[in-house]
Amino acid sequence: MEEYVIEAQNLSKDYSGFKAVDGLNLKIKKGEVFGFLGPNGAGKTTSISMMVGLLRPSQGKVLINGENVEKVDKIVIGICPQELVLWENLTCMESLKLMGDMYEVPGEVLKKRAEKLLQDLFLMDKADTVASKLSGGMKRRLNLALALIHAPNIVVLDEPSEGLDPQSRRVLWNFIKSLRDNEGKTVILTTHLMDEADRLSDRIAIMDHGKLLLLDNPTNLKKEIGEGDVVEMKLNDPEKNNQIIKYLENMHLIESAHVIDNHINIRALNAVGLLPQIMRYLEDNNISIADLSIRQNTLEDVFIELTGTGLRE
Amino acid sequence: MKFISIAIKDFKELIRDQRGLFMILGFPLFFMLVFGFAFGGMGQENEPHLLAVVNYDQGTNFPLTNEEINFGNNFTEVLQDSKYEDSDVNLFNVTVTTESEADRLIKSREVDAAIIIPEDFSQSMVQLINSNLNQQNILATPEGTIPTSNNTTSVIIKGDTSFSNFGVSQAILVGTLQQFQDQTVSTISETISPSTAPSAEFITTSIESVPGTESFSMFDFLAPGMMVFAILLLATTVAAALSREVETGTLARLKMSRMRSFDLLFGGLIPWSLVAAAQILILLAVAILMSFKWQGGLNSLILAIFIAVIGGIASVALGMIIAAFAKNDRQAANLGTLVTVPVSFLSGAFFALPPVVIGDFMGKPVQIYDLLPWTHTLNALRAVLTFGEGLNEIMYSLGWMIVLTLILFVIGVGIFSRTRLRAEN
Repeated sequence: MEEYVIEAQNLSKDYSGFKAVDGLNLKIKKGEVFGFLGPNGAGKTTSISMMVGLLRPSQGKVLINGENVEKVDKIVIGICPQELVLWENLTCMESLKLMGDMYEVPGEVLKKRAEKLLQDLFLMDKADTVASKLSGGMKRRLNLALALIHAPNIVVLDEPSEGLDPQSRRVLWNFIKSLRDNEGKTVILTTHLMDEADRLSDRIAIMDHGKLLLLDNPTNLKKEIGEGDVVEMKLNDPEKNNQIIKYLENMHLIESAHVIDNHINIRALNAVGLLPQIMRYLEDNNISIADLSIRQNTLEDVFIELTGTGLRE
Repeated sequence: MKFISIAIKDFKELIRDQRGLFMILGFPLFFMLVFGFAFGGMGQENEPHLLAVVNYDQGTNFPLTNEEINFGNNFTEVLQDSKYEDSDVNLFNVTVTTESEADRLIKSREVDAAIIIPEDFSQSMVQLINSNLNQQNILATPEGTIPTSNNTTSVIIKGDTSFSNFGVSQAILVGTLQQFQDQTVSTISETISPSTAPSAEFITTSIESVPGTESFSMFDFLAPGMMVFAILLLATTVAAALSREVETGTLARLKMSRMRSFDLLFGGLIPWSLVAAAQILILLAVAILMSFKWQGGLNSLILAIFIAVIGGIASVALGMIIAAFAKNDRQAANLGTLVTVPVSFLSGAFFALPPVVIGDFMGKPVQIYDLLPWTHTLNALRAVLTFGEGLNEIMYSLGWMIVLTLILFVIGVGIFSRTRLRAEN
């Protein structure tokens, strides 16, 4: 039987008539990396804030290890917020010791744990540097270390790699994997980065407009909107995009056709096999192609399929 | 002890934010310098008053000796020779001149005042002396006493009434003239009849100064007010610091931990109290440099620090209340200024306010301003530093201050915890 550490039951949050989260029901398994995906304003951060007890739900409840979140010992959860939440005038080591003290971590354990975190997150040589003097990537890593100093069983990472360069992102991903694989921690991750969610998450919940749209592992999610390929095509005359879309929508075996960033995005089980027919239609209608590519279905395609292409904020 | 970790954190942040620290300590310092310069005189309180003397006195014959005497000249010499008490500095810098020139000097503020001695000044003085001797029957003859007329004369003190120096000079001149009259009469009485008992006095006036205030300046009164102003400004800084903690999310991070409201707010008290103590020491040192006459020695200093710490706690409590309503540190700073400046005035930090008695406590009238702890901080600081009083003398103020601070602190903790330390709605 699977063990769930967090359970959200009919969780809702209203802000003067606006429903930021609408009847969220989900269970998070012990020791998994659980990804929250959704566009800006989808309700990810609000959901997480309620799940860790920072925000009172308008409706519903959150159980952590079967106990109401309001009564849970705070040492169980560690949260790494989206924004950099640091004391600018404290050094890395001072910040970690402060948070350790706040969680009543014994002195010797605290010292060793702080050193290990600094080591693991490549901050050891900055231990005595005040936060304001750190680079963006270092600050983000310190932000994460502060969430882990009390060795919580549940780690909540709210867009942890926001603004990181690829090198720093890779360090962070390895660290997150090690939290799950080596320390058996449950990690809840919100992100915009499909690649990040795809690589790290055992299961992914896709949210939009405060509602849970889909919840499954990345492989199943990709299957959900169709296996196969994606053809991306750019026409010399973008005004003909709609004409092509109309044609493709009526074509047999085509799963979907959208215009994304001025490219026609065609998803089909056997896109390569359908290409000659599409090319013939273009030729007959004197439509010329500027660019054409074929690739495999990605999580981003799933995301766009579910949440659309409209700008949210 | 989580509150100690919070105290250390706050202290480090305070010390390392040098710009902020400079503002906390520098702003009141600037006020102290300005007030000291404006009202302290920077050691110039013993400067001679500039005086024009116009002497119209014609002199007269003194009846007992039949000598020609001019009391106008005598009085002018007295004015020229008078010195400050225990000092070599002349009370007046006298220019003997004509009335028209005196007017010009007044208008150009080259003199603080002019005194015009009338032509019958000597005659009037003689009449005064005769009258006094008659009362003592010193000049009694078989025919009766020497006749005295009821002629009165008037010494005019002229000046620009809008000029503050005129007010001071005028008061000193009136005193000096009265003293001249009294001394002249008593000297002549003594000369004629040394054994005569002193003339009867129906009303006696004596002037006594409070110890240490012989050369009291306005600044001696104002300097403790500046200290209270500095302590009150802490409320703005505390409010801004707490709001910053909310705005940057560090408070939410702390809320996620096992920290209690007590740890955060009590821990915060310690460094801010130290700041209040440091402010008193620095401001006192600057005030002394600016001619503040500090009384009481080391004991008064220890008492002043104690008073400042309690005043500082009251300000921290006020800061919590402000931070509970401010959305960010800028708003907290603005709101803080909006609150602390009027409270400074109401506490009497800048000048004494008209009495508004609302009751009676322990035989003393209770003013509406007494409901503010800083009013008592000011009273206690003034008593200790300006008048050199001890613990016993300030017990009443201290008692009020502690009770009001406790009430304010409980309110501050309650409001801040309710609005900022619970899960958001």
